[in-house]
Amino acid sequence: MMTITLQQVLPTYFEESRKQRSEIWGKDLLFNKGEYIKIVAPSGSGKSSLMHFLYGLRHEYNGTIRYNDSVTSRLTREGFAGYRKDHISIVLQDLRLFPEQTVQENLEIKRQLNPFHPPEKIVEFAERLGIGNKLASRCRICSYGEQQRVAIIRALLQPFDFLLLDEPFSHLDDNNSQKAMQLMLEEAEARGAAIIFADLERIDYFPFTRLFHL
Amino acid sequence: MALSFHPIRPLLQTGSHLSSRLFSYLGLGIGVLLLLCSIQMYVNIQQLLGGSTPRKDGYDFISISKTITNETMGQLDKNLFTAEDIKELSSKPFVEDVSPLMANNFRFQISGGSLVPFVSDFFVESLDDHFIDTLPPSFHWSEGQQDVPIIISSDFLEIYNVFAPGYGLPQISEATATQLALQLILYYPNGNREVFQGHVVALSDRINSIIVPKSFLGWANQRFGATGAIRASRLYVKTKDANNPDFLNFLQQKDYKINKDKTKFGRVKQVMQGIFSGLGIFGLLVVIMSLMLFSFYLQLMIARSRDSLQLLLLLGYSPQWLSRKVSRQFIPVYVIVVLCAVALTQLMHWAFHHFAMFDRPELSNWLHWSVGAVAVLLIFLSVFTNYRMVKKLLYRLHQV
Repeated sequence: MMTITLQQVLPTYFEESRKQRSEIWGKDLLFNKGEYIKIVAPSGSGKSSLMHFLYGLRHEYNGTIRYNDSVTSRLTREGFAGYRKDHISIVLQDLRLFPEQTVQENLEIKRQLNPFHPPEKIVEFAERLGIGNKLASRCRICSYGEQQRVAIIRALLQPFDFLLLDEPFSHLDDNNSQKAMQLMLEEAEARGAAIIFADLERIDYFPFTRLFHL
Repeated sequence: MALSFHPIRPLLQTGSHLSSRLFSYLGLGIGVLLLLCSIQMYVNIQQLLGGSTPRKDGYDFISISKTITNETMGQLDKNLFTAEDIKELSSKPFVEDVSPLMANNFRFQISGGSLVPFVSDFFVESLDDHFIDTLPPSFHWSEGQQDVPIIISSDFLEIYNVFAPGYGLPQISEATATQLALQLILYYPNGNREVFQGHVVALSDRINSIIVPKSFLGWANQRFGATGAIRASRLYVKTKDANNPDFLNFLQQKDYKINKDKTKFGRVKQVMQGIFSGLGIFGLLVVIMSLMLFSFYLQLMIARSRDSLQLLLLLGYSPQWLSRKVSRQFIPVYVIVVLCAVALTQLMHWAFHHFAMFDRPELSNWLHWSVGAVAVLLIFLSVFTNYRMVKKLLYRLHQV
């Protein structure tokens, strides 16, 4: 069963005093599969940094992050590719879509990497989140809200043990946010996966099992 | 279902630099063509001038004799090579080997038999076997054997064919020459004679003489010879380079005469091979240049597609898989470019063989296998270098 461990992690560009105020920076933490972790973090507290560190996009920190027993800073590029394909999925704050590809193509590129769902699920998820009519549109011309929903669906097309969410609803209204949250909870449950959800404030419709202030 | 590159391909921005790509393909094609043509021409030269040249295995074979002047005329001691002379020559660094041309020391006549009815006083010589360029396996003689194999200079045949019509004798071809039954007439000092059957087993471009097996001449000189000591009037020298200044200085200093004609053919071949080696090296340089140009193009493409590639890596695509797929995109192009070059080389070789060489049998109509091997090697080399480079660039990209 996959775990993510943090040991005394602190961004190199943060001062040591952050450790006192934060429940995550400079602490020893263990996240297990199946947990719903809520991280409340005001602007500038390093929320996106934490998500990038957890996903292995950046390594500018002191301390250690482990996937199971592997120290992530020592993982090879192929090693990261393997984890991202099979075990860890992410919705980034800056979305990161292929702007010139259609919504459908963006989703298919992720789905085919390690198909957890058949292609028909793409249509079903898009319909559920209200972007069914956007599948043939280039992402470049979709609104931020639509792009955000594409990024959410993309994260759900692969197998995962951990789903990392970095302000996933910043461009969505409450109604659409709830629909998306519902879908993510269903998908996480189907995999027995954990969700690590970082946002500016608490969101009522995320049934967290542990809460941290960054 | 296997992971497909199909949805990934549009993410690689290859479009707007089509001209630079085409240029690098063209350059590659020209380079490969030059290289392959050079290899084929090099092989052609080997095959055309190969077996029958005086220059064999990278050596010059030349004969030297002492210059006979008015002062030394009639003085055998001064005009023949002594054992010391041979020893001195062998000891020089520019001389690989020396063999004396031993001549007959008795009266010798040759007769053409019934087909070519002429009798003439002549001379025969013998030489170490490994100095003979066209040595057939039948070239040996043992005591008691009536039949003596002979190797004659192809020049002699040419000279004979020039004067033969004037004497009412038939002109003869090389093929007929090797079938002629000759009579060798050897005289004792008292005028008695013995007759042997001679037949020409080969013609030589290198040795300007009539050569009989060493065992025969040694035996005959003992039996028919008037004088005991036998010394050579000519020496055959095997050297790396007959134009070596040290060698020429030595010959000049000793007043030895060199048979220059015999080295000319070898020099021409050497120069031709030099030219085609140079052309081949130039071709190789063009290949390297175009591969470099292509690698710049690849780098540009990866730089332009940087965001997409980075995002693919972020999504969990393996950098190794991506490098393999990206570099594999160009395999068909490489194969087509190299195949076109091979086809053109084949065409040029055929044209050379047919129009310039008039289908000479020494050459094949088809390319030498080494040309194909180099073509395959080039494809592998280009694909491998591409793969390495794409992989390196993608690994560098991996950090966000």
